[in-house]
Amino acid sequence: MLRFGRVLFKEAGTGISKTLSEILVCPLSKQPLRVCEKTNSLISDSIGVSYPVVDGIPRLVPSDGKIIDDEEASNSNSAVDPDAVKNDHQRCSS
Amino acid sequence: MRTSSIKFWQRRLLAGGGIWKRLYSTEIADDAGQSSKVKIFDRHLKRKQRDRAAWLMQPKDSLVDAVAENLLDRLEDCKRTFPTTLCMGGSLEAVRRLLRGRGGIEKLIMMDTSNDIVKLCKNAEMRMPNENIETSYVVGDEEFLPIKESSLDLVISCLGLHWTNDLPGAMIQARLALKPDGLFLAAILGGDTLKELRIACTVAQMEREGGISPRLSPLAQVRDAGNLLTRAGFMLPGVDVDEYTVRYKNPLELIEHLRAMGESNALIHRGKILNRETALATAAVYESMFAAEDGTVPATFQVIYMTGWREHPSQQKAKQRGSATISFKDIQKQFGQSDER
Repeated sequence: MLRFGRVLFKEAGTGISKTLSEILVCPLSKQPLRVCEKTNSLISDSIGVSYPVVDGIPRLVPSDGKIIDDEEASNSNSAVDPDAVKNDHQRCSS
Repeated sequence: MRTSSIKFWQRRLLAGGGIWKRLYSTEIADDAGQSSKVKIFDRHLKRKQRDRAAWLMQPKDSLVDAVAENLLDRLEDCKRTFPTTLCMGGSLEAVRRLLRGRGGIEKLIMMDTSNDIVKLCKNAEMRMPNENIETSYVVGDEEFLPIKESSLDLVISCLGLHWTNDLPGAMIQARLALKPDGLFLAAILGGDTLKELRIACTVAQMEREGGISPRLSPLAQVRDAGNLLTRAGFMLPGVDVDEYTVRYKNPLELIEHLRAMGESNALIHRGKILNRETALATAAVYESMFAAEDGTVPATFQVIYMTGWREHPSQQKAKQRGSATISFKDIQKQFGQSDER
């Protein structure tokens, strides 16, 4: 998470600001969000939903969220498992 | 808890007109008592209306500015500062513009359900930045607050919360997002708002269509506001009311103004069609019943200001019942005699 934070802080134009990444949570589960730079979205692992970031403004309205496809959804079921989350991270950042 | 919520909404709905009670109670039966599922407002439509309002909005709206100014004035009454602040819904831009360094805000987060309003605020901030405030923007829903628990010092909501389906729920979420001893400041429209329009709509619809449909939202009454704060768990609740009367050249201008504020009808059970005849009749009734001598028509806006704090050990509290050691009779003996004179 720290790594993402640093990257974001540098590229404030494309990503979201440090203040936001510290404060924002998933609106439905109130669990922390993960930044996915590839798809430019915020992902809530606990419920397997991704929220888009448009022009540096995160859209955290439940109706804007997209349910992530089956493969990732299965990961989300085992979100408590740190390995699954790590794999997800790698796939996302690669 | 559930029944009290139902009671509250019923009261709110009753204020909006008798027809509502019936519609509402059938919904309760359908939902088997799940009060959180009761939908009064179409939030999706409200979002669209606010998108449209972003384009119609005047750079300075005297009513909105007066409310925002009044709300922000309360920050000067507190000695403490509020480094991290969330401003959600309603008239975001007016709040940001009128802040003028009050409250010692360092980080300001602006949130609204409408993408276009958030963009508008962002563009306005680029043109006229607030000094020493780091402003960030989020599109979010007050009913699903995307803010981490205990992370804010202040939540401001200026004229937005009266469109939430679950007002107590939204306020509870705001309380949870606050740090202990954090302040919640909100302005909502109260039940006397647009009473002239309410009357005109009813009269015109009765005359032209032989029945009425809900054209105006049910709004919270002043007496409910205190209960709301207490129910949401805020400490040291404070409620006060202000009435603004805005004068328009004609009733259509009022409707235009409402549209520009994003305050158009967004009820789920609204009449989908507005009959042209009825609309014109409403305008005519409005003018004949309420117009002043100079031809202007007044519209009342009742604004309820609510303040509440998240609990903190340093706050003053009432002592527990039965913990008193002195009888009131003794107090009266001490002080009462001088008053009796």
